[in-house]
Amino acid sequence: MKRNTLVLTLVLFIFATFAWAGWANFEYRKQAAERLLAQAARGELVVDAAGTPEYVSPLKGKPAPAFSLENLDGKKVSLADYKGKAVLVNFWATWCAPCKIETPWLVELRDQYAAQGFEILGVSTEGDGVGKDDKAAWDKDKLAIAHSAQQMHMQYPVLIDGDSIADQYGGLDELPMSFFVDRNGTVVEVQMGLTSKANIEGDIKKTLGN
Amino acid sequence: MGTGLRALAGLAIGLGTLLAWGQVDSASRSVLKGAAVEYMYPEQLTVTAGKATDVALHFRVAPGLHVNSHAPKDEFLIPTTFSIPDGLGVQLAAVTYPVGKDFTLPADPQNRLSVYTDEFVIQARIVAAVGNHLIEAKLHFQACDKSICLPPKTIPVAIDVIGK
Repeated sequence: MKRNTLVLTLVLFIFATFAWAGWANFEYRKQAAERLLAQAARGELVVDAAGTPEYVSPLKGKPAPAFSLENLDGKKVSLADYKGKAVLVNFWATWCAPCKIETPWLVELRDQYAAQGFEILGVSTEGDGVGKDDKAAWDKDKLAIAHSAQQMHMQYPVLIDGDSIADQYGGLDELPMSFFVDRNGTVVEVQMGLTSKANIEGDIKKTLGN
Repeated sequence: MGTGLRALAGLAIGLGTLLAWGQVDSASRSVLKGAAVEYMYPEQLTVTAGKATDVALHFRVAPGLHVNSHAPKDEFLIPTTFSIPDGLGVQLAAVTYPVGKDFTLPADPQNRLSVYTDEFVIQARIVAAVGNHLIEAKLHFQACDKSICLPPKTIPVAIDVIGK
């Protein structure tokens, strides 16, 4: 009898321990999910169980965040100005070597698909923390952007101060970054980093609904 | 011990195993984040006060990444630079940067970049005043891998310089 009581107490203790562990695990996972949700506003490079890196954007399938930025002539250009068109919002920087490789592809693809209602907005994102209040640094940045755009024959609108909309576009922690926005204003694809001309073209076709 | 109690104990053990398995699943995906460049050493230096002293500063670039050398081959690329802010009791008299390694992106094999990878050493000539100076020097760089670039960054280089 005494032995049975001892065993019963032990089993109850084990149950209590597991119940506590289960509760602690639930709380841990709940907090982890909340953390993940909080981070969801930012794009993240994650590796899956197989070790393959994958960029996960919180914007895919959602309306593209509205913005209004200056072009190199100082005129405001809004994403809304391109309503009804398929738009590739391409974030780049003067110091970004992979951006310089993909830009000639973008120039060619823009020429190829413009007649179907396709446009590219090249948003310079220098990431150097320079704001308009530092006029000398701002002008220096602007000059470098203009020079770079000219050198790469960027015939499409080049906008400046992409940093000001970085948070809306998932952080822009890596460049180049491309958001493919369809005619309804929805982000249908997101590409992070240099891919290939064929990949970009495939996503342009998807964005155009081809 | 009765059969019922044995079954109860078995159930408890099984339950515990299931809970532990749940923990592993949540850890199977991890986020790729980290410092592109880290300062390694020296953390402390003893120098003759008022006399120029050469110091080798060791840095490490994260695997798979590169940073532009001090003399990148493109005017738009951001060079790696080392500096010591004024007023810390330690002056930077001169800096010698290592020569960059040639590097080409697979998508553009014609264009050679000059970069630092793995570990690199910057030779700094410093002059310290008498006393113990915990300085926070700075390394400014811009890192990329084969397909992406990270924004330019400045990291602190903390060194305890003792001038005797």
